Amino acid sequence: MPSLRDVEDEIATALRRVEPHTSYAEAMAERSVGHRLRLDRSQTSIGVEPRVEGAVFRAWAGHEWVETASSGLDAKSLAASVDALRHRLTADAKRTPPPGVSATGSGERESESKVPLESFSVEHRLALAKRLHDLALSAGGIDNAIVNVNASSEERLFLSTVGARRWHRIERTRGSLAAVAMENGKVEWDYISYGETGGWEVLDELTDARVLEVAAEAKALLKAGSAPTGEMNVILDPGTAGTFAHESFGHGTEADQLLRDRSYLKPLLGSMVGPEFLTLVDDGSYPRGWGSIFFDDEGHPSQRTVLVDRGKFVEVLHDRESAAVFHRAATGNTRRADFLSRPFVRMTNTFVEPGDWTLDELVKEAKNGLLLQNCTSGIEDPLGGQMQIKVKKARRIVNGELGPVGPSMALSGKVLEFLQGIRGVGKADEFVISPGYCGKGHTDLIPAGTGGTYLLSHALVGPA
Amino acid sequence: MSEPTFEADTAFRAADEVRRRGLAGAWDLFGERAERYEVHLNGTTREYLRAPIRLEGVGLRVLRPRDGKMSIGFAATSDRSPESLARAIEDAEATARYSRFPATTSELPASAGSPDSVESIDRDAWANPLESLDRYVHALVSAFEGRDGVVPSFGSVHLTLAESTLANSAGLEHRSSRTLFDFEVAVKAFGGPEGRPPGEYWVTSRGVRVDPTHLKSDVDTWCDRAKDVRIAKPPSAGEQTVVLPPRVLTDVLPEILSYRFSGAASIRGIAPKAGDPVGTDRVSIWNDPKYPHAIGSSAVDDEGSPTAKTALVAAGRAESTLYDLLHGSAAGHPSTGSGLRDTMTYPGWDFFAVPVNPMATTLVVGSGDIASDAELAEAAGDGIWVDQLGYAFPDPLSAAFGGEIRIGYRIRHGKIAEPLRGGTVGGVVIGGADDRSVLNSVVGLGRRTELTAHLACPALVVEKMGVGGAD
Repeated sequence: MPSLRDVEDEIATALRRVEPHTSYAEAMAERSVGHRLRLDRSQTSIGVEPRVEGAVFRAWAGHEWVETASSGLDAKSLAASVDALRHRLTADAKRTPPPGVSATGSGERESESKVPLESFSVEHRLALAKRLHDLALSAGGIDNAIVNVNASSEERLFLSTVGARRWHRIERTRGSLAAVAMENGKVEWDYISYGETGGWEVLDELTDARVLEVAAEAKALLKAGSAPTGEMNVILDPGTAGTFAHESFGHGTEADQLLRDRSYLKPLLGSMVGPEFLTLVDDGSYPRGWGSIFFDDEGHPSQRTVLVDRGKFVEVLHDRESAAVFHRAATGNTRRADFLSRPFVRMTNTFVEPGDWTLDELVKEAKNGLLLQNCTSGIEDPLGGQMQIKVKKARRIVNGELGPVGPSMALSGKVLEFLQGIRGVGKADEFVISPGYCGKGHTDLIPAGTGGTYLLSHALVGPA
Repeated sequence: MSEPTFEADTAFRAADEVRRRGLAGAWDLFGERAERYEVHLNGTTREYLRAPIRLEGVGLRVLRPRDGKMSIGFAATSDRSPESLARAIEDAEATARYSRFPATTSELPASAGSPDSVESIDRDAWANPLESLDRYVHALVSAFEGRDGVVPSFGSVHLTLAESTLANSAGLEHRSSRTLFDFEVAVKAFGGPEGRPPGEYWVTSRGVRVDPTHLKSDVDTWCDRAKDVRIAKPPSAGEQTVVLPPRVLTDVLPEILSYRFSGAASIRGIAPKAGDPVGTDRVSIWNDPKYPHAIGSSAVDDEGSPTAKTALVAAGRAESTLYDLLHGSAAGHPSTGSGLRDTMTYPGWDFFAVPVNPMATTLVVGSGDIASDAELAEAAGDGIWVDQLGYAFPDPLSAAFGGEIRIGYRIRHGKIAEPLRGGTVGGVVIGGADDRSVLNSVVGLGRRTELTAHLACPALVVEKMGVGGAD
């Protein structure tokens, strides 16, 4: 497979043409390939991910950032981008330095895959998907099973006019199965999904036992009555706890929101926001994490950043600009969805650190309420500090015992009240980082890991 | 990029190369050449100018009849070199070897005919994209001037000008252009002696025209909403009558109904059959692919088939289904001109990289007879007017949706009363005949139709919706 490094000279040459016109410029080039497979009862679809490649050039214009980008890494496409960029730069661009500290490091990194992207044949993938599909249908009462198996390999090359040079290649693999049950026009489903930085070995997590469990749950959901609504004790499963950490808390720690006075957390930096057994972390260097990166799109290395340390809100996530304003260092969290998208401060893998409760102990502690399982999505509200998380199913807790499964629910309420209401966090053996995609606003989707263990608190739940 | 030149030839050049390489059997190529312009605001200050962002690429589909079914291969690339196209051909053929789809014919249209003209191009934006965007941003920022305690905290506007080309093995060559304009703005209300926390109203919009005409009055409304957020309280829990305006329904109905009434749902047994009762007799829904000034409106779909209105629900009963060529073949039905390379989920612009699927262009819900917002509230009696959900989380499979009320209003005795925030509203859009789906619970429809992204509809008054709120 050709490497992005093969066209590095052309990109560097293009960047040098901008240098005389600005105090700082950088280039980020990207190339991605991948495989996808989708199989269900009616069709089998095998595909290759679109081979999309290109480069974005960013320069400081003296008072704002200016960017141009183009698909294609040929000399003509690169020159067109650079010419357009130079056209936008005035004399101010040379006189005034950009905000913050420019990364100057260099290095090359590659993710490790036990079963690399190109080593697992289509026949193998197809056989695996077919076996899982047939297994789900064999459970009886299942009308369809949708299996998705996807893997991608993405290269990024970062160069700047102050000498930074970073290259990385990251493979990500993800597998999922949704079992679908139908009756009298009603359709219900449940799912499992696994994804990591790494190769096809990730698919080993799609075990027979989990597939059969999902099939049984889909059938049960078809018969489930309505779930209770209102304020009550809730236990979040590990994936849902991770989404809480990401959507409800994490977005408020992206420092560009603080610069805009758009974070409810801004006045709380340095304060206790939760119990002493609660620690929240963003870690772009987490081994095999779905959202892990080696360097960000300003050339800074990824790192572990503790956001809440034993209940105290201690740090936020910075790009070069916010780091300068807050007199901190950049945290390696500046990410672009791709070369077509602008950079923002973004999370990587955001999670709740494990505690010391078993699930059984948490259920008994809750006594009555709901266990919220299989998070399907969440959305941020960085200024209002409200939360909204949707789960595929909710299991009743009655007198300290887990009861029958109920339909999809939405969790809402004030994040800070939820944090202060946390009464227990599950043990490390239940810790999971789930694969997801995060948007900033309604676009710019990036891979983001959300993780945690079981977590008990109190919240408002309703139908969804 | 100036006014549409209709000279883009991405797919045609690729088609020449494909023919030169002797690719046999049925194939089609979708090419795209696009430029995007963006302005990002921090408050009222421009912090980012992105101009232009250029994207060009081609998607190749091959159709191979095999054992009574169809094998479909697909590959897309932004590298237009002959070597890259050769690799795309290899990829498409390789993937086709393993794919199976229950279509029986691979006949592609030889001509798009002489399609009607559909007005979906903003010519001023094409002629002067950056100036057009600057004028809009200036109008947006100006609309906030002089306001006390309300500011935009951030915003971004995006203008995309895309030229598409389509070629296939039957000899079709077709060009089209589209304008996409979308923006998001967060409006913050703050200050005041009472020391309340600030409130935010987040606005997103997608369309095809860079038109600042109504910005001033829109900003008035956004500012009022942001102020109301500060004093809003959660609703009470239980089943209630809910008014859902178009800006809420636009995140719910297209994604669910476009799938449930498509050939893709039909071959999986979850599309309603013609004649099935799916809603009250007040409910009629159709797809209008030529709706004026709507996203994707075109006389020809992305496979080269002519588009036409398709009735989906007539007076509460399922009527017909949306097909592209292949899903139509699987069902023994001609294409309804609904083969599109788009998604309802997020505003993408890399259409060449998206495989064809049957879907709606613009879903239209027939209007009713309730003339004004005041009369809609009166029709609801007691209940909730939902102005904005955090996100509706539409699930096409189960047809369920639901989300947190970011801002809404209590309706008391037929009048709009105090603001609400928090709690959730949700339900199932479409289900069986005897269920309590939204379509089965519509008791009133507004007279005024509003176009928002892929939906043109009036406000709906829906009874007995589940509301999660304070006890």
